[in-house]
Amino acid sequence: MLDPVLVIAASTALAALLASAASHKLRDWRAFKGIVRAYQVLPDALVPAATTSLALAELGLALALLLPAWHGLAALGVVLLMALYASAIGLNLWRGRRDIDCGCSGPGAAQPLRPVLLLRNLVIALLAGLAAVPMAERAMGALDIFVVIAAAAVALLIHVAVDGLLANQPRLAKLTGR
Amino acid sequence: MQLLIASNILLWLLLIAVAFTVMALVRQIGVLHSRIAPAGALMVDKGVTVNDPAPQVTAADRHGRPVNIGYRAERSQLLFFLAPGCPVCKSLLPAVKSIAKDNSGELDVIYVSDGDFTEQQALIEANGLQQATYVVGPEIGMTYQIGKLPYAVLIDQAGTLRAKGLVNSREHLDSLFETVHLGSATLQHYLHGEHKHDHDHHHDHAHPHSAQH
Repeated sequence: MLDPVLVIAASTALAALLASAASHKLRDWRAFKGIVRAYQVLPDALVPAATTSLALAELGLALALLLPAWHGLAALGVVLLMALYASAIGLNLWRGRRDIDCGCSGPGAAQPLRPVLLLRNLVIALLAGLAAVPMAERAMGALDIFVVIAAAAVALLIHVAVDGLLANQPRLAKLTGR
Repeated sequence: MQLLIASNILLWLLLIAVAFTVMALVRQIGVLHSRIAPAGALMVDKGVTVNDPAPQVTAADRHGRPVNIGYRAERSQLLFFLAPGCPVCKSLLPAVKSIAKDNSGELDVIYVSDGDFTEQQALIEANGLQQATYVVGPEIGMTYQIGKLPYAVLIDQAGTLRAKGLVNSREHLDSLFETVHLGSATLQHYLHGEHKHDHDHHHDHAHPHSAQH
């Protein structure tokens, strides 16, 4: 049993993260379809359907995370989704196809596959695990709500910053010649 | 207790501000990374000489309307050579479009491509080029002897070819306009100390670096 502030903050941050990921995918559906195809884990015929269902799954999980009745189940769904993404990345790393676009952080932030991206998925999955823990019953005051919003905002900003650093890392390596 | 609550709220607000600053810094570094590229358009030195009259050629755009290139006109022309199968060309299209928009008073941007018409159509739709002058055909590229893509050619109102080069980034495109300001054929010439006033057309254009002798 965890304090509700922790659990709700984790689900709010996850919901916003998934909603933004889904909006990237839906707005640039064509580019994302190309990325799914490049992973070569699905037969070509299934790629368009898989692209749409991934984006819709993210959107659905984001909404469900915000509903008290559903959020535990939705958080487990996020863990599964992250495991799915991680296995697709891991499979291509194992095949040695490192130079395909990860598709992790939306358009304009193309980055090659690297093992560190598995760590990124693990961190998101851990956050989802935190959101799935049953929470203790207690009355929520205004301060609790403030902390939930502030913590979710900080988590999101850090997520964007870390994503940016990850996307910059290969470019920096190119500049320094390593 | 009041103090602790106030301090806690203040700390959260400051933490949000710090996280926001870090995120903004990372984004700025990302922009810097994408702008750092080998500067200066590489001039593949064949075809028409810079500061000579541009070859005059008329081609039909994709709607069959005639497009005159290299004639005396009221507006300058920027020819942008591209192909649907060239990813660098596509990544440059936003930059070309913004140049067209910024200079819409004095510059006509003409997109020149060749090859399969349905692929051209897809590229036009994907990049919002429906209103642009878009020529599909080999005539212009052959007249200007374009061998590498993406390539850009700048022609002034008098029909003089002012700058040209292989363009791989927004900086390369900008460098074409910059060389016109500097009055030099290419940025490489300018950097090697050759200016317009002592620019003669007799030296060997096949070796841009020999211009120093």
